Amino acid sequence: MTPELGHFVLALALALAIVQSTIPLFGAARGNLLWMRSARSTAFGQVVFVGLAFAALMRAFVVSDFTVLNVANNSHSLKPMIFKVAATWGSHEGSLLLWVFILTIFGAAVAAFGSNLPETLRARTLAMQAWISVGFLSFLLFTSNPFERVFPPPLDGADLNPLLQDIGLAMHPPLLYFGYVGFSIVFSFAAAALIEGRIDTAWARWVRPWTLAAWISLTAGIALGSWWAYYELGWGGWWFWDPVENVSFMPWLLGTALLHSAIVTEKRDAFKSWTILLAILTFSLSLLGTFVVRSGLLTSVHAFAVDPERGLYILGLLAISIGGSLALYAWRAPMMEGGGLFKPISREAGLLLNNLILATATGTVLFGTLYPLFLEAVSGDKISVGPPFFNGAFVPMMLPLVFVMGLGPFLSWKRADLVGVLQRVRFVVVLAVLATLAIWYFAKGGPVLAYLSILIALWLFFASLREWALRVRLFEVPLQESIRRARNLPRAAHGMTLAHAGVAVLMIGMIGSSVWKSEEIAFVEPGTSVNIAGFDVTFEGVQRVRGPNYIADQGTLRVERGGSFVTALKPERRSYPVAQSTTTESAIRSTLAGDLYASITEPSLDKAEESGAWTLRILYEPFVGLLWLGAAMLVIGGSLSLSDRRFRVGAPQSSKARSTKPVAAE
Amino acid sequence: MIWIAMAVLALTASGIVAASAWKPALVQGPAEDRTLAVLKDQLSEVDRDAERGLLSVAEAHAARQEIKRRVLSVGRVKNTGESSGGGRVILMAAAVFVPLFAAGYYSFAGAPNLSSIAFEDRQAEVAQNREIEALAQKLLQRLQADSEGGALEGWMLLGQTFMKLGRASDAASAYERATQSMNADSAVFSIYAEALIVSEQGIVTPQAKRAIARALELDPTNPAGTFYDAVGLAQAGANEQAYNRLLTRLDEVDGFAPWMETFVAEANRIGAALGRAPISLSDYAPVMSGNSPGPTAADVEAASQMDDVDRDAFIRSMVERLATRLEAEPDDIDGWMRLGRAYRVLGETDLALNAYSRAKELLVPVSSECPSSEHLAHFAA
Repeated sequence: MTPELGHFVLALALALAIVQSTIPLFGAARGNLLWMRSARSTAFGQVVFVGLAFAALMRAFVVSDFTVLNVANNSHSLKPMIFKVAATWGSHEGSLLLWVFILTIFGAAVAAFGSNLPETLRARTLAMQAWISVGFLSFLLFTSNPFERVFPPPLDGADLNPLLQDIGLAMHPPLLYFGYVGFSIVFSFAAAALIEGRIDTAWARWVRPWTLAAWISLTAGIALGSWWAYYELGWGGWWFWDPVENVSFMPWLLGTALLHSAIVTEKRDAFKSWTILLAILTFSLSLLGTFVVRSGLLTSVHAFAVDPERGLYILGLLAISIGGSLALYAWRAPMMEGGGLFKPISREAGLLLNNLILATATGTVLFGTLYPLFLEAVSGDKISVGPPFFNGAFVPMMLPLVFVMGLGPFLSWKRADLVGVLQRVRFVVVLAVLATLAIWYFAKGGPVLAYLSILIALWLFFASLREWALRVRLFEVPLQESIRRARNLPRAAHGMTLAHAGVAVLMIGMIGSSVWKSEEIAFVEPGTSVNIAGFDVTFEGVQRVRGPNYIADQGTLRVERGGSFVTALKPERRSYPVAQSTTTESAIRSTLAGDLYASITEPSLDKAEESGAWTLRILYEPFVGLLWLGAAMLVIGGSLSLSDRRFRVGAPQSSKARSTKPVAAE
Repeated sequence: MIWIAMAVLALTASGIVAASAWKPALVQGPAEDRTLAVLKDQLSEVDRDAERGLLSVAEAHAARQEIKRRVLSVGRVKNTGESSGGGRVILMAAAVFVPLFAAGYYSFAGAPNLSSIAFEDRQAEVAQNREIEALAQKLLQRLQADSEGGALEGWMLLGQTFMKLGRASDAASAYERATQSMNADSAVFSIYAEALIVSEQGIVTPQAKRAIARALELDPTNPAGTFYDAVGLAQAGANEQAYNRLLTRLDEVDGFAPWMETFVAEANRIGAALGRAPISLSDYAPVMSGNSPGPTAADVEAASQMDDVDRDAFIRSMVERLATRLEAEPDDIDGWMRLGRAYRVLGETDLALNAYSRAKELLVPVSSECPSSEHLAHFAA
């Protein structure tokens, strides 16, 4: 019964979304409070009903109800419970249901926490959100029904790709979707503001927490995905410029630009039109990400749904939402009043440069990702654009960005005193140069670009710390006073320092693990020793191990350094009999200085197989742990900012504001 | 039970919309108040920053000036109009629309009679399946141990069992052994080809092509051979040839054969790519006698000229004719299946289920075609 109820409530949710997409809009246009407020009720209704549908689907997966086609195709009775649960969003239909569920969560959140918003803005924002809801719910019900039934039910399921049976990956889509879908609310705010014809500093402040929340989730989602690729794919890489990765990276880049341009709109009433455009484009890229992955246009391990008909439907949705919102933008944006002016050397100018570079970088990634598709469509030639293009075009663009990132926070709004700023960062420059020279002395060798990148990363790191130190007057006043000042500092300031320093840490992780990586691939027999980065790794043999739904060959590697035992690594080669596939489980010894990473595969040569030899791949990646640390700093920094009290300026203040006369102009 | 649950859910959804119509229309202050709250907060932030020494006196002054200008400009923006609280009728209409829309959608897309079956509740089925697997394994070992290569019937039964268990590639290996028998006829080869194609997700492999060729060599009229030959041709890009192959074979038949439906469907699928008009089964199987299973060409012609009401009545009379005939001759399994399908199209779910269960009762005597465990046990012994 529950699958049918799930199906039914999804239809109810669509009906509510249709109501919410129209009545509040008319209400806002005619000043009808009842109509406007109905959006709140229906937004709560939507989240309840889509949530029920999601729960019904999850129940079908948990009890392995194979009368539901989706369960039969994507689960198996022998699968560990946690992956049964995760399989709910592992399939095309399930992941879209999750998408819509998150969409309605954000809608309900605006309804719940939006009491500080003007009635018309809230009603229009919720109506825009409902339009997206209508698009995706109808897509689900008419082309990708997750509750499609099958009778008689197959005796057991067809399993899920065992490569995807991993806890990191199980959490990856929900986080990524929270990010993608989070930008939908920013998009809805932008569209609503365009309809209102009014964008001001207050609007920017209302939008910022939502942007930040989406950005945090997307950051965490991308980091988790990268982490998964690192230890599950067995190649020891953490970013491959794979199209599926790129489509999640583009909204992140543009979302980062949006985050910063919204600051200017909030503080200075400038960049208004640009902020709106960024909001529209960021969500468009999120939709594109969903479309590209879901349509199976790009073939990669992630793209598990292949269906051109669905692709066409999403293409239609894309055309309507992006085309429609850009048309609205073209029509209404010119009416916006210009904002505050600023000089070429100012905080605004720094943020403008940040935005320009981020937008160009997004364009570069977009070009590299879509070019092969267009070329194939036009000429039929199949090419792939790989890391060389992205490393060549994208990385150099980031260096000036990171440089400005270090300098920006020192600049004041409107016009900055460049000489004064340079005096304050003198010490930072010297420190960064000295540290780079020290690294050069120890690492001996490596490309010049690597040292330049390290120099700039260190500059950013020290500059961020210096800026924070200046704010709390560290070492200028007694320590007690500095601590008091730090406590008084808005949380957003701590958040910014942490996030900017996080970028520096992340960069050092990237550079270290790609430039000074050592790698050995060898045929090994029990007793063979391999030397890598000062470690002696001895292969001691392979034994059979049985897992819940797989059989594994587990290798044992004894790791020694200078004759003393360090650790034992146990990489596995797992084979899943039901899904008829094998996966690599690498073994990693992680320290902050670097990871020792080992994986084994069956020998491909018949002769080697007879002698019991295995292919051992062993890598040493210096500083790779800093990548995850840096990503964590970004997420924590963002969260700190989000908890800042300024974002909670709410209804209580508004009632006070009513009693106070507007402040007279001087 | 399910209807009660759905009714409760639908009423809740409707209530959510209706309730918003009956909320007291509290008049909210104008939008400017909310904006002013933010600007006021910005002012106090400037004060705090100035106090902490983050802003110089001049900077703080400039910032305050700017915010105050914005406060003034808020007053200049025109209010969008009077707030009112009327229009309850529209909201009530929406409250009615919500359950109606969902019910309308569900009535054509839902499957309310299909119960949900948890894996845990299917242990009997699982045990039976396990038994069949074990018997199949035993049969396989016995056939492999046979010094004469195993009986043709044994391999065929094993192949059917594996097919039923969803193990197409195992079935193909069993059938392959069957084709090595002296007595292997055309059907054995086409069944082998079919298993190969199923195990390759519908792709006609060279191996399958060879089996098809052999099947047609042994019996050029084997419809399965022709069918998969056409599928193979279509996959190789020879749509035209494949299409003609199907049509030629259909032309050769007098009267109706069950496989013709599949041929017509496949021909239409390929024909669509070629831009041909769809063909219909009645073109090839004009049914002659009065107690025919389907409508005659004349019936179809007559039906196409009626309006909707007449056509519905006409179809119902045809279905009733079939039902009466089946009461008289209840052994016709195809007839019951056809009746079930007709009722389903007409939306008569209960009658359709009844017809299907009548057909199911007839399934028992033909169990030699679907291997049961006793049958397997007999062979495996």
